[in-house]
Amino acid sequence: MPVVDLSFSQLQKLVGKVSKKQIADSLPFLGLDIESVDGNLVRVEYSPNRPDYSTDHGIALGLQGLLGIKTGTIDLKVKNSNDYNIDVKSAVSKVRPYVTGIVARNGKVDDRMIRQLMAMQEDLHFGIGRKRKKSSIGIHDLDKILFPLTYTTASRDHKFVPLNSEKELTMSEILASTDVGKSYGGILGNSSHVPLIIDSKKQTVSFPPIINAAVTTVTSKTKNLFVEVTGINKDDAEDMLSIVAVILQSAGFSLVTVKIRGAKNSPPALATKKMTVSSTLVNEILGLNLSVSKIVSFLKKSRISAVSKGKNVICNIPRYRFDIFGPMDLVEEVALGYGIANLEPMLSPSQTIGQPSTVSTRLKSLSLMMIGLGYNEALNSGLTSKRILYDMTNRELDNPISVLDSKSQEHTILRDSILPGLIENLSRNIHASYPQKLFETGTVFSAGNPINEQISFAGVSAHQDASYTEIKSTLQSALKTGFGLNIETRTSSIPIFEEGRSASILINGKTIGMIGEISSKTIENYKIRVPVVGFEIRLSGLIFD
Amino acid sequence: MPQVFHEIEKKIILSLQDNQKQSVESLEKSTGLSSDQVRRGIEWLRLKNLATIDESHTTLISLGKNGLESFEKGLPERRLLDLLKKDPKKIQDLQKELGPVFGPAMGLARKNNWIETNNDMISVGNCPANLPGENALQKIGNGKIPKNEIGEDLNPLLKRPEFVVEDVIKSKEVSLSEEAKSIKITDDSSGAIDVEASTPQIFVARTHPLKDTIDEIREIFVALGFSEIVGNMAQSSFWNFDALFTPQDHPARELQDTFYLDNVNAKNIATAEQIRNVSKSHKKGWRYLWDINEARKMVLRTHTTCVTIRHLAEHKPDEARVFSLGRVFRNEKVSYKHLVEFNQVEGVVVGKNTTLRDLMGIQREFYKRIGITKIKFWPTFFPYTEPSLQTMVYNDRLEKWVELFGMGIFRPEVTKPLGIDKPVLAWGGGIERIAMLKFGLDDVREFYNNDLNWLRSVTNCQ
Repeated sequence: MPVVDLSFSQLQKLVGKVSKKQIADSLPFLGLDIESVDGNLVRVEYSPNRPDYSTDHGIALGLQGLLGIKTGTIDLKVKNSNDYNIDVKSAVSKVRPYVTGIVARNGKVDDRMIRQLMAMQEDLHFGIGRKRKKSSIGIHDLDKILFPLTYTTASRDHKFVPLNSEKELTMSEILASTDVGKSYGGILGNSSHVPLIIDSKKQTVSFPPIINAAVTTVTSKTKNLFVEVTGINKDDAEDMLSIVAVILQSAGFSLVTVKIRGAKNSPPALATKKMTVSSTLVNEILGLNLSVSKIVSFLKKSRISAVSKGKNVICNIPRYRFDIFGPMDLVEEVALGYGIANLEPMLSPSQTIGQPSTVSTRLKSLSLMMIGLGYNEALNSGLTSKRILYDMTNRELDNPISVLDSKSQEHTILRDSILPGLIENLSRNIHASYPQKLFETGTVFSAGNPINEQISFAGVSAHQDASYTEIKSTLQSALKTGFGLNIETRTSSIPIFEEGRSASILINGKTIGMIGEISSKTIENYKIRVPVVGFEIRLSGLIFD
Repeated sequence: MPQVFHEIEKKIILSLQDNQKQSVESLEKSTGLSSDQVRRGIEWLRLKNLATIDESHTTLISLGKNGLESFEKGLPERRLLDLLKKDPKKIQDLQKELGPVFGPAMGLARKNNWIETNNDMISVGNCPANLPGENALQKIGNGKIPKNEIGEDLNPLLKRPEFVVEDVIKSKEVSLSEEAKSIKITDDSSGAIDVEASTPQIFVARTHPLKDTIDEIREIFVALGFSEIVGNMAQSSFWNFDALFTPQDHPARELQDTFYLDNVNAKNIATAEQIRNVSKSHKKGWRYLWDINEARKMVLRTHTTCVTIRHLAEHKPDEARVFSLGRVFRNEKVSYKHLVEFNQVEGVVVGKNTTLRDLMGIQREFYKRIGITKIKFWPTFFPYTEPSLQTMVYNDRLEKWVELFGMGIFRPEVTKPLGIDKPVLAWGGGIERIAMLKFGLDDVREFYNNDLNWLRSVTNCQ
């Protein structure tokens, strides 16, 4: 989950008259997890569905509501203007079809603000922008740009001075040599022409979704901002724009419209939208008995203005709350306004009788048998390695099921057998006292339709006098006493066991497993110094389906 | 008062005073004790510093598969020579008679000039009475003989495949310390034993501590009226993600977070209606074209929720309390905090009394039963529930609030497409976290190390 660094004093300045403690106590109830507190600094984790919480301004809006300082929907006040136009050329429709934007004037841009904007931009790119693929943002110094702008494409030979560079580079060079170019160039595929925003003097403003031009860099001298968002979907681009708009307005900027036309583009729709939630749904879901007017007031604390209409509540959803899909999301907003800490847990008697699954019950009783026989229970991963499963035990690799791109070498294929893992466990315990007896029950996997999963049961016994007789007696006794099952053994040659000392296990003529003395080769591979005997049987189809 | 010895100890001391250095087997013979008694006795004496134990290794030789065959029928080259005893024979006839051992027999015999070839007729050449290895073969027979007793004639057999099997046997030789050599064992008619002596440590066999926690949690769910459902660990992306309204471009679905099975795709993922409705729900909510091929990709389940939602979609109960419990998988770097495979439990409530407050009540009761009373609830976000909460519990040892189970009500975008029209409350989380609290562990990997020293010593209840 994304994190944001905040300062208590800055939050106090933004929120109004509140103490540091009030802020610290309230943050979790906005859904913000406090990661660490260091004096005046606090680092919080916010949920990906609330990108407006990626800056202190957005969090301050939430705190104001929760603490009752300012409530209701934040209206975006966007002054209409014809000064800022973007013409979209149809060439972009093949690479990145949509652009949208807004102008923010007369704000104060200091280092702190620049840092916050950069962090927000990164989070937006990573989260709702899906690593810039869906939508990406450029924030520019408005006064370095001469409108109208054109959103078009350029060949990869097009040159300009990109951000953080001093010399002109071609688009190809930017993609090949800069970090952002290397990270995000893939979004543009192999298209010969790539997106470009130029101003009326043919000066490059931005190369979306990769990098801005150096000339429009925002510095602490910047007064006015131009924000553009490009993307593959108009609504997604406007989602991102709405977040930036509400943050900039809260930071003291005056918003001005940008007109966009051409190639199916149109000016952004940033108006609030109406959504109705019934008081019955709210009360049914939360287990409360709130009046409609109370519901209205709690929604306002969640920064959503609402009016009552009979039993219903009509809400004014601001554009930046695109995480609100329907009435159920509004129920949560009511709960947050009400205060989760005020919701009293309630225990109603169960109308149903519970029971464990047959599998669990049977496995439990089997493990009691094994404990009685002196075996310790072991637990190994189902996702394990070729080394443990095959190499060390000389088993043949038979159509193994592997996972893609595992971050761990030890976990790359699904086990088809439990026994090899138990032998590996013994090798880790050669310094512990003997006898060592281990058993494990768990899922094993085999290829098929598309994957077969069965429960298997294995045991090993390792000590100076470990013998085939001992292990057969053990298994025989566990299955007889536990489940009334009688086993038979038939001579069989099985690679994991010593030749001449291994058998198949049969019940009612059907082979269900194997048993024997672990081969001396395996024992040597693992440098175990005592004889080891073991077995493995399939339980699925035997003691449960 | 003279030192008191156990009867076993007395016999061993007396025997060793007579005969300074003895193996366990020899002590068994000389004392008449069982091997287990001897073992125990020398262990006690060792702990009292009265005896020392030296380990030595002996290699025992027995016959392997081919060795046994040769013991019965003679060495392959001997069989060859026997056939030629009367008359020379044709090479093809020899091959027929000897079968698979023809090759090795001919090879050896030729090399040593035991046979001669004239045209295609083979006859006996210059051969010794005893072939190399024959003496050794007879000596070993069906027995197990110490290697040093066999002599050099063993060497040719050692070189041949599966003729002999070597077993290294460790043996212990026991001798008395200087102090013990002069102990006077007197007949003690009082029957007193050394009750103060320390006894050897023995270990209980036990279920795995994590399994105990899992069982405890299962029992609590059952006591709260929940029935257990089980499901597969390998699931289609459809049930693990799509049915839970997780868009196909969601970061959680990337290879670096989720284990995808290499080249395995599900054929039948769901009913045509379920697929249609889920696809529509994604298109409407997330504004993209849903791709059924993405949904077919098989993953190792990242949560047990896929099992629950599948159950609900199939049964559409008006009222139910069910839970699923089992392994889940995440493509993580293994660390003290993270495993690639861990256990999760998840319960759902459908029907009456399905309010958020009921869900909180069940939680509180659950924690009370595992011994956690200091809890609070915070809002949080999960992609498939709304509203969503998380439980925070106070960890006295770490002196801070830690996050435990999550809970929420399944989003209508999840339930409606699957034809579930009652609210579904869901709650659950990782079990290892609870077990770590219980067993005071800071490193989650300990549960899967299978370290016997830990398994044998960890205290059951803390």
